[in-house]
Amino acid sequence: MKRRKILVVDDDRTVLDSCKRVLEAEGFKVVLASSVKKAIDILEAEYFDLMILDVKMPKHDGMYLLEKIKEKWPLDRWPELPVVVMSGYPTNDTISESLVRGAADFLSKPFTPDELITSTNIILQRSKNHGKQ
Amino acid sequence: MDESKRGLFYSTRSRLIVSFLSISLLVGLISLIVGIKLLYKTVLNEATTRITLDLNAAREIYHSNINTIHNVLLTASLDGELQLLIETKQIDKIAQKLENISDQIGLDFAGIALNSEKPLFHIGKLSTDENDNKLQNPIITSVFKNGSSVSGTVIFTKEFLMAENPELVERARIEIISTPMAAPRMEKVETSGMTIASGIPLYNNGEIEGVLYGGILLNKNNAIVDRVRETVFQEETYKGKSIGTATIFFKDLRISTNVINSEGERAIGTRVSKEVRDRVLIEGKRWTDRAFVVNDWYITAYEPIIDIFGERVGALYVGVLEEKYIDLRRNIISVFIFITITGIIVAIGLGYLMANKITQPVRQLIRVSNEVSNGNLEPEFGPILKSETGVLQKTFAEMLSSLRERDNLQRAESERKLILSEKQSSIGRLAAGVAHEINNPLTGVLTFTHLLLRRKDISNEVRSDLETIAHQTDRVRKIVKGLLDFSRQTKLDSEPTDINRLVESTITLVKNEALIKGINLEFKPTEGIPVHIVDRNQLQSVILNIIINAFDATKPGGKVIVTTGMGISTNKAELKSIEIVISDNGCGIPTDNLDKLFDPFFTTKETGNGTGLGLAVSFGIIERHGGNIRVQSEVGKGSTFTICLPMEHFDEKTKNTRRR
Repeated sequence: MKRRKILVVDDDRTVLDSCKRVLEAEGFKVVLASSVKKAIDILEAEYFDLMILDVKMPKHDGMYLLEKIKEKWPLDRWPELPVVVMSGYPTNDTISESLVRGAADFLSKPFTPDELITSTNIILQRSKNHGKQ
Repeated sequence: MDESKRGLFYSTRSRLIVSFLSISLLVGLISLIVGIKLLYKTVLNEATTRITLDLNAAREIYHSNINTIHNVLLTASLDGELQLLIETKQIDKIAQKLENISDQIGLDFAGIALNSEKPLFHIGKLSTDENDNKLQNPIITSVFKNGSSVSGTVIFTKEFLMAENPELVERARIEIISTPMAAPRMEKVETSGMTIASGIPLYNNGEIEGVLYGGILLNKNNAIVDRVRETVFQEETYKGKSIGTATIFFKDLRISTNVINSEGERAIGTRVSKEVRDRVLIEGKRWTDRAFVVNDWYITAYEPIIDIFGERVGALYVGVLEEKYIDLRRNIISVFIFITITGIIVAIGLGYLMANKITQPVRQLIRVSNEVSNGNLEPEFGPILKSETGVLQKTFAEMLSSLRERDNLQRAESERKLILSEKQSSIGRLAAGVAHEINNPLTGVLTFTHLLLRRKDISNEVRSDLETIAHQTDRVRKIVKGLLDFSRQTKLDSEPTDINRLVESTITLVKNEALIKGINLEFKPTEGIPVHIVDRNQLQSVILNIIINAFDATKPGGKVIVTTGMGISTNKAELKSIEIVISDNGCGIPTDNLDKLFDPFFTTKETGNGTGLGLAVSFGIIERHGGNIRVQSEVGKGSTFTICLPMEHFDEKTKNTRRR
């Protein structure tokens, strides 16, 4: 079975490393991006099964990236790229806004490895079923 | 605002002044009118009374003249010598005697008439001429007819006068001057004469032998009227005119008078007004009134003169110049008016002063209330009076002081609230920032701890340490979450709620915990609490929070009682409120801590047992419901927390529900 590729976008190194360690241990191929700009570059070059995206980042935030993806790849990549949004300051507004913009799930920081793994698996399973249809 | 107040006030003052003024004016005018009327009447009555007396006096003088004639003639008739002369018809000597008598009292005519139908003798004219003496004058006929002496007023026609003395005819003749207001009269000249005369019978052997008579012609004879003026009015004059006048009328004609006409002569020949004539001569009554006599107004009295036959032949008149009385009256009334008007002015002045005195403290109060409305709560009051106004001033001052007190309380309260909310919002902002920054490293700590825990090659000791790290990190996560909950102004998701049921269900949640801790948890709901719109979840978390705090403060065997009820809102006095009261008999809260109770991060619990955010969050929730939380506490006796929820829509319907 081909290894699933996950892109993690966050300006915080610790978070990126944590995600990489946990997800790689689960057998995923993990690519990290420390800013929205870098993430766009990576997305142009590669295809991913899932993106885990922090909301609050300097310069361009996660909402901006969600918007950008919609603009750049209106049909072919989107909605096939599911996004899990994470935030250290989860208000009702942030959660609902990200869901409206197409996020598949929402993770509150700090999360345990189990919470991250459960969310990832559920979303990938869902998109896989979706792809089959 | 200011202006209109002042206008209002001034109108009150001027109304007061106008009231004083009109009362003074009214009283003044009434007393003026009544006074003038009374004075007018009094003066007139006085004059009328006087003139009536004067007329009596005049009549006495008139009659005394008649009596004089009578007495003199009577004395003469008793003279034996005269009788002898008559018997012997010594005419010369008789004439001599009669002339003496008539000189004595100024008789105009006198004579002796014998039974033989013709007068024996006339003075003034020595005549025994038959032609002349056929006529017997009315005196003679009257004496013979009555058989006794006759005295009084007698009218002599021209013929009789001629018979007595031709000179008398000329004296009696009076030209009638046409007079306005007099009754019409055909003749131009009056030729008859009015006399006062007396006739005394002369007896011979008990039979009337003859008559001794004599009299005075009153026509143009002013002796009587002048004597009246002298004796009654004492020649008093007013502005060059005699005050008193007297007149003898023959019919309506002035034959003897001291009334002066416009030429300065006696107004003989003028006549009395028809009105007076009708009353006095025709009706035979007295007349007492003001009347226009020749030139001037007089206060007059007239009475008829009755002749010896009982006929009304003339009138006797006295009059006083009205002018004197009018002037007198005018003077008195002027003085009276002056006094009254002075009184009115003084009354108005006093009224004005009094109105000012009355309104002065009111003005003061208005000034004070203006100052108050401009924000000065400690205005200068001025002296406090002892009157009702003083009571008003005192009440106002008391009201002001309680206003100041309330103002201070409100200011303190709002300052406290402001500080609290500033504290909360700054803490909120801080919390949000901190939470955001802390959550990233926490993610790392949590992740790597869990990754380490997955390893199989670690000793139990290390595993235990790692578990402690994981556990404590979880605690940090909870604290941060609490901070975030506190900082977030979560919108209320309100819906109509039965408060009793909500409290009941909350209590169910902690029943087990109470049981474990050995605390007696009781709920005493008040029936009939209206359905109220609240955020169920948030309110429940508040109640829960306070109950759990109570548990922590209470020892096993202690009591926590929850009650519901109705109260009065402390925020808006006019509103009713729902109260949820949670009281315990635990350790209580020291006074120092009461102030800080709702501050974020304030806790008395041991480290690790509380975040210090519970009550701060609770307070925020209740405040967003428009209510507040009150705390009463005594160390060692317990605490009482009262959640107060004002009812914004306290209408008829809910009132009825409550009664039921």
